[in-house]
Amino acid sequence: MSNQEALDPTASSTDPILEIRNLNVQFEMDRGTSRVIDDVDLDIHRGEIIGIVGESGSGKSMLASSLLDAVVEPGVTTGEIIYRSPDGESIDVLDLSEEALRKFRWEQISMVFQGALSSFNPTMAMREHFEETLEAHGYPVGSGMERAANLLSDLYLDPDRVLDSYPHELSGGMKQRALIALALVLEPEVLVMDEPTAALDLLMQRSIVSLLADIRDKYDLTMVFITHDLPLVTKLADRIGVLYAFEFVELADTESILREPAHPYTRALLNATPNLDAPLEEMRPIEGSAPDPVNVPEGCSYHERCPLATDICRDQPIFEQVTDTQAVACHHWEDIDEIPLTTEVDQ
Amino acid sequence: MKRYLLERTGQLVITVFAVMTLTFFLIRLLPGGPADAIRADLIQNNPEMSTDQINRRVEAQLNIMPDDPLHVQYVSYVSDLLRGDMGQSISQGAPVTEIIANAAPWTIFFIGTAVMIAFVIGISAGAIMAYREGTRFDNNSTVTAILMNSVPDYIYGLIFLWLLSYQLGVFPTGGRYSSSTEPTVNPLAPVETLTFFGDVLYHAALPITAIVFVAWGGWALGMRGNSIQVLGEDYLRVARLRGLPQRRIALRYVGRNAILPMYTSMLITIGFLLGGSIIIEQVFSYPGMGYYMIEALTRRDYPLMMGVFLIITITVAIGVYVADLTYGLIDPRASAGDSQ
Amino acid sequence: MDSVDILESSEAIETVAEETLSRRERWVLTIERGVLAPARIVWADLRARVGIIILSLFVAMGVIGTRIVDEPRTNQGERLEPAFQSFAHPLGTDSVGRDVLGQIVHATPNMLLMILAGGVFTTVMATAVGTTSGYLGGSTDRAIMSVTDIAMTIPGLPLVVILAAALTPTNPLVIGVILTINAWAGLARAIRSQVLTIRRSSYVEASKAMGMSTMSVVRRDILPNIMPYVLINFVTAARNVIFASVGLYFIGVLPYDNIVNWGVMIDLAYQGGGLQSMEAAHWLFAPLITITLLSFGLIMFAQGTDRMFNPRVRARHSTTTKTSDDDGAPSASPGDNV
Repeated sequence: MSNQEALDPTASSTDPILEIRNLNVQFEMDRGTSRVIDDVDLDIHRGEIIGIVGESGSGKSMLASSLLDAVVEPGVTTGEIIYRSPDGESIDVLDLSEEALRKFRWEQISMVFQGALSSFNPTMAMREHFEETLEAHGYPVGSGMERAANLLSDLYLDPDRVLDSYPHELSGGMKQRALIALALVLEPEVLVMDEPTAALDLLMQRSIVSLLADIRDKYDLTMVFITHDLPLVTKLADRIGVLYAFEFVELADTESILREPAHPYTRALLNATPNLDAPLEEMRPIEGSAPDPVNVPEGCSYHERCPLATDICRDQPIFEQVTDTQAVACHHWEDIDEIPLTTEVDQ
Repeated sequence: MKRYLLERTGQLVITVFAVMTLTFFLIRLLPGGPADAIRADLIQNNPEMSTDQINRRVEAQLNIMPDDPLHVQYVSYVSDLLRGDMGQSISQGAPVTEIIANAAPWTIFFIGTAVMIAFVIGISAGAIMAYREGTRFDNNSTVTAILMNSVPDYIYGLIFLWLLSYQLGVFPTGGRYSSSTEPTVNPLAPVETLTFFGDVLYHAALPITAIVFVAWGGWALGMRGNSIQVLGEDYLRVARLRGLPQRRIALRYVGRNAILPMYTSMLITIGFLLGGSIIIEQVFSYPGMGYYMIEALTRRDYPLMMGVFLIITITVAIGVYVADLTYGLIDPRASAGDSQ
Repeated sequence: MDSVDILESSEAIETVAEETLSRRERWVLTIERGVLAPARIVWADLRARVGIIILSLFVAMGVIGTRIVDEPRTNQGERLEPAFQSFAHPLGTDSVGRDVLGQIVHATPNMLLMILAGGVFTTVMATAVGTTSGYLGGSTDRAIMSVTDIAMTIPGLPLVVILAAALTPTNPLVIGVILTINAWAGLARAIRSQVLTIRRSSYVEASKAMGMSTMSVVRRDILPNIMPYVLINFVTAARNVIFASVGLYFIGVLPYDNIVNWGVMIDLAYQGGGLQSMEAAHWLFAPLITITLLSFGLIMFAQGTDRMFNPRVRARHSTTTKTSDDDGAPSASPGDNV
């Protein structure tokens, strides 16, 4: 799992902005230690959009929070998250002092997370949210608010109207886009999004996803897009990592994930996710349930649910490079076509 | 919003009329009949008066004309009230409005001060308790707040009076200010004015403390609950991630969002404490509105009693009305239409 | 009432739902969920246990205590005998030699009756108004709620004072009702919003769709859901009755010719020098401590019963009901919608 070369399937274009090494997130509970991120390594490249996909309870939200060292108490985050700023400086996010961390967040990495619809103070107009953020980081408010207005326009919002509104006066989609603008107002390098579209309807999800692609190009952003919705993220991401049971089981460019997913779980996800075009009878729910973070199965954590599982799966598979752009942790990846793909997801 | 304003105003008007109607009929139910009491009193003191004269005096004092048909009496009663004429106080020998105008500021002063102090203590305590949720401090404060909140204010009053006024003699046993102090409110005589204010506070200190002892706990528990809720909100997490300073989060986020919902209930509490002042004023012989209401009751001075009742009730009704209407202005959430 | 119900509901059952539980089973279930399960939870809570013990003490004092302790008479003992000096007068005597303990004990039945009357009046009135309003909706609801709002606006104590002056009540039951004359309004509003929430839930809609009459839906689906809520408000009402009655007896608004209330004791002690002289302090403090203790008992009880609102706590304790956890059950756990 911690084989480093294997982790860099797109090695050719390497300029990692974030290097995650041996990342662990644990919660001490009465019935034992709950490891919700289990020894994860990952490089995130400058300027890419990386999608991270997993079921609920796979640890993906924890991964998102840990990138800002913002795992909620009493969670303990250990390992290394090296951030390389554009001027070549490297810092370990998990080593920052409180004040340095306060400045690091939102100036270098900002985040849009699940509760987007309730991410604004209900008794404060939108304008004040932008202004207080600029002030808290010592940015000039005048030019900052111009940038905010531009961002809102880029997201197809009427800046004056939105800025003068209270949160409850905006629709869910508007709030979501305003939150993205708020996340970008300090011109961060990386934007982490944790299920940013979960509360929106399908059409709004699609339009926000296409807006995000434009924003990335215009502002040279690196994006980490975390979701349970594999088909959705394929429309946006350059690379996709599949999380299962608190660690990556597959990491590849989007094309490979769609055409030749090498892990049985990735295949199951593709077959299970509703696609607007897919006939109902071809959709298969994934059998069994997600593992308990206190008690993850020995060996390959997926073997209890896997149709290809054999005795060898009781041993931990290594995360190995199968092509230049694809890595997988499965003993049987060569036989993967025994699980047919029922859904054709087009990009 | 317009519609709500209209409905709410209509409701206020109906309330005021309902209360007037209630007093109109209750006066007729009072034991011995107030008209008889006054008539007897007048005949005894003015043997030379004619029946006609006496009837007119009774009418002037009670705002009713006993021999007219009921609806005529009602119309005349209500129109007198609307003109601000509440009749003549028998026991105090002055117009009811005059006595109330004299007593009301004292009640409003000590109740208002008490509510403000209790509010500030309660809000601060509640916020600290919420920030330290689950600690020993939080648990102890919660228990203390509940216990102190579960004893009526007049019991505190009696205990204070017994211990601090009678046994230790450090506080006055009653009254608005010392008889030796000349009531002075004059910017040209600052020393006398300050002495007077000090004396007034000294006299009001025990009733105020008694109310604060009860009331702070309610606010503290309310504030604690609201703050804990706000502390768990998504927007608070986002605010922290955005790197806002602690101070701003505490004041602009937690404080404001937790206090705003308590605004209405604070105004309403002031109103209801005006009503509740009856007993505490009696304990401390503090001549405010409630004191005069009971004085009037024991002396069968019904016009004064009903006058105080009307004023207290209408003040509360207007207070609630203002609270309801202004809440939308101070809390943007309220205009979202879920004010129910 | 029962015969009507049998006609009404058995018809409904036969035509639409064979699986509805029999009346007997339903009653067992209702008692289990409405009485036994809550009782177990309540008893498990230390505060509730303290509360129940204190309240039981007062009930015992009102029921049995009056037979053990002599009714207070003048010259039972020396004047102003201090407390804790003799077995004959453990709490001492007042300025005319009446036993203070006797006064406390013999004022208890009246207080209990007042609490009962006030609590029952408040909860019955509020439940009736709230459920009717919430269930009927529309213009009926608006009209009822307007009246409720007006009743809520009038400050209770001054209203009680003029009512007491006009009616000079002496019967404790009547006094209990007068003291809570507009206390129902706030509870009625709360119950109404509870009913509105419940009314929208699926199983009530299902009952209506199955053609059950309004009344039987109210009784079978809505009342069980709001019962715990009502219980807690009963306690609040009781507390208000105690405070108001003692206060009004103390300031002489309620008429008395005998020591019928602890407030009367406070009044007599206050006037008889209880504040000024140490010798009379026990006479003043006995009723003060009594009231505080009773109020403490009530608040502990209320705090403890609060746990009944937590559905998870309820679920853990309702061990004997395994029968109908499926959705169509006629009386869902009262905690569900609170």
